[in-house]
Amino acid sequence: MSCEVIKPDRILQQLAELWKDTARPEADADGDGLLRACAMTLVSFVDDEEDAMALGETLALLMREHPSRSIVVRLREGEDFLESRVFAQCWKPFGHRQQICCEQVEISATMNHLQDVAAVVGPLAVPDLPRLILLRSARIVRAGALRKILRLGDKIIVDSSLPGAPGFGELGALLESGHIAGDLAWTRITELRALIAQVIGDRVPKNIIIEYEGREAGAETRYLEAWLASGLPDTVVRLKGSGGQGTGVPAVVRVDDEITICLTPECAEIEIGQLKQHAPLAVGSADELLNAELKIVVHDEIFERVLNRITA
Amino acid sequence: MPLEGLQDPLRFSRKAPPCAVVIYGANGDLTKRKLMPALYRLAFEGRLAPGFAVIGVSRTAMSDDDFRDRMKHSVKKYLEDSPFDENLWLSFAKGLTYIAGDVGQPSSYGELAKHLEGVAAERQTGGNVLFYLSTQPSQYAQIAEGLGSVDLNTPPEGNSDAWRRIVIEKPFGHDLKSAGELNTRLQAVFRESDIYRIDHYLGKETVQNIMAFRFGNGIFEPLWNRTYVDHVQITAAESIGVEGRGAYYQEAGALRDMIQNHLLQVMATVSMEPASSFTSDAVRDERAKLLRAIRIMRPDQVAANSVAGQYGPGRSGSEQVPGFRQETGVDPQSHTDTYAAVTFLVDNWRWSGVPFYIRTGKALPKRVTEIAIQFRTAPLAMFRKATAGAEALPNVLILRIQPEEGISLRFASKRPGSGMQIRPVSMDFNYGSSFGERSPSAYETLLLDAITGDATLYTRQDMVEASWTAVQPILDYWSTQKFDFPNYAAGSWGPAASDEMLARWGHEWRRP
Ligand SMILES: NC(=O)c1ccc[n+]([C@@H]2O[C@H](COP(=O)([O-])OP(=O)(O)OC[C@H]3O[C@@H](n4cnc5c(N)ncnc54)[C@H](OP(=O)(O)O)[C@@H]3O)[C@@H](O)[C@H]2O)c1
Repeated sequence: MSCEVIKPDRILQQLAELWKDTARPEADADGDGLLRACAMTLVSFVDDEEDAMALGETLALLMREHPSRSIVVRLREGEDFLESRVFAQCWKPFGHRQQICCEQVEISATMNHLQDVAAVVGPLAVPDLPRLILLRSARIVRAGALRKILRLGDKIIVDSSLPGAPGFGELGALLESGHIAGDLAWTRITELRALIAQVIGDRVPKNIIIEYEGREAGAETRYLEAWLASGLPDTVVRLKGSGGQGTGVPAVVRVDDEITICLTPECAEIEIGQLKQHAPLAVGSADELLNAELKIVVHDEIFERVLNRITA
Repeated sequence: MPLEGLQDPLRFSRKAPPCAVVIYGANGDLTKRKLMPALYRLAFEGRLAPGFAVIGVSRTAMSDDDFRDRMKHSVKKYLEDSPFDENLWLSFAKGLTYIAGDVGQPSSYGELAKHLEGVAAERQTGGNVLFYLSTQPSQYAQIAEGLGSVDLNTPPEGNSDAWRRIVIEKPFGHDLKSAGELNTRLQAVFRESDIYRIDHYLGKETVQNIMAFRFGNGIFEPLWNRTYVDHVQITAAESIGVEGRGAYYQEAGALRDMIQNHLLQVMATVSMEPASSFTSDAVRDERAKLLRAIRIMRPDQVAANSVAGQYGPGRSGSEQVPGFRQETGVDPQSHTDTYAAVTFLVDNWRWSGVPFYIRTGKALPKRVTEIAIQFRTAPLAMFRKATAGAEALPNVLILRIQPEEGISLRFASKRPGSGMQIRPVSMDFNYGSSFGERSPSAYETLLLDAITGDATLYTRQDMVEASWTAVQPILDYWSTQKFDFPNYAAGSWGPAASDEMLARWGHEWRRP
């Protein structure tokens, strides 16, 4: 087991060397140069068990829309361990000759080094640009170390629909402490909410029923219910589970007797009286959801209102 | 209006209200290449209301299904950087219908009115209709009057919330007089606020970005005036010739086709005063004011401030290409300008004395559209001795519109090493590398704007007339001249007279 001393200055120096190397004529075979792009710092806290390849792919896709200095912190249990490495993530946009590159830092640490990690990650953030934290580590939540890392970011993003993830309670506490928070379970229903708003148009419905698969409503369904109820104070919004097995995600939305929206993972079949229409609904892959969330680095009043309604 | 409580402006993309779009000229090139792919893409993004409908009108007889097939073929062919989804198409195509009719036939408007009633009931379009005129410009007024004759210009009785809008494609007249006549006839039927004159240049993301750059940043605007700016160059170069569109082009020419509309709008966007708010009329008021402030040339000033050109045979890259007069459909004696360059002056407090050079041409060495703002040199040439005058290179800010959208700033920097050696370097912002998102096409943006009633990027009557007023003296003077055409070889940067025009001011064209 290795346990190196890692210092922000050394990592920054390694990054500077990395750029010199990447831009060397031998490395840049086409000679069209490369562009170092950075619009934010994105720190991802993950548990070591998480599929490194899948996360790598998500981050690589994300960089195309949000070029960033990406810092991935992998946390594990067990013996004393602390290690870091730097590398560049490059791609050539379609039809362009110049490569675009972003830098990545990966830090692997055991939980006893969480304090050190926080001390390293802080100075590594790019000055004057937004700092976002993607919190996927259940370990941090279990260890009650959430507060320690909050100071590092302008916005904390979680996915409350994942097992072990921070739930509505923790998210509410984040808001209370003045943080900007984002929940991918909320992001996942953006397209559906927009569709419902469009289809309802200017009618004020009397009743809306949200049907979901399973015994217990999932985070998305609860968000949807709270959003409709807070936006339509004169409408009765109810949930109806199918019972049995199921993920708890919304399956059908019925607005009075006039409108039915049936949901499948990628689209919606809408019936408004006699009119039937098929509408695509964005699939919401991991990178698309994060992408949407990274665009927002201000307090999201509507999300906060809905979350407050759930936690009240 | 959608319910306020269900809106989420931070996250929801803009959606169109229910409506029908009637396309006149539905069998034409623009419908196939631009309009239908843009509408399909809006549907793909879920921006259109569930009952959205399109009614195509042209003379050719075809059934609804034939029309759907043709449109499907075009969408598949011309859809840029988007996938084609068969299921979505089936659903989208249900809303497409077609009426064969001649715009000169009065009965065709009654037929359309009846058809629209049926569509409104079946597709629940709420009586909202956008008429899109994509036919020959000479038919615009006639169509508007035809629509008015059956009251299609106003919402149906008892449905005052519904709207009727009309979109027309350029050219808006072929000179000041005809533009005025067209406006009078259109306004006799539609309110000015319901007339949307499309200028697809203003729909380009990067042209819109000029406003974000100027008015969303605090550091550039203080320098954006005669005290700091030496001159401005606007270039819109095409590397191809007229390629089959010779017949159309020889009626228009570069000055009418590009400068009168697109490039004067770009110039107005670069040089207008900040609007008090980002609302359609506030922004357009400022653009219009700027266009009205352009100095109108006297006939004796035109020769020194404008250059007409026409390409002869030459080489485009490694390929030998014919001259304009050798292109199919072009008169071998044609006097059409395939190149135009003009020096405009703006008589207002901010820009007094600053020349705006605009050039555009076909068969130039490369395809590029950009705006270069050249600043004055530093007041004191402190490093001249050490650098043989190199520091005298002025700062240039370049707003690149195509092909590689972005912004760069040239400034002087010290070379590494001892001594004070100065070298110009460039600081680059590349739109594509900071935002990997797909940019909507200009037609997607503009169609959605028209459907949602946002006219910010559309040209108003006073703007059209102001820009015709600015170019009319040039057109008048050129019409009396016998030019010695061709005066530039295909693949070159235009006639020598164009360089001379700038040299008179002590300037030279950039090589983009
Ligand atoms: N194409 C472009 O990229 C482009 C760019 C900018 C602006 N524009 C402008 O957009 C407009 C349309 O351009 P376009 O290139 O699409 O022209 P186009 O290909 O000539 O199409 C016009 C269509 O109008 C129909 N039409 C002609 N006379 C008619 C009549 N009397 N009644 C009913 N329909 C009639 C024709 O179809 P039928 O034969 O079936 O009647 C024809 O297909 C023009 O004003 C042009 O200046 C075009």
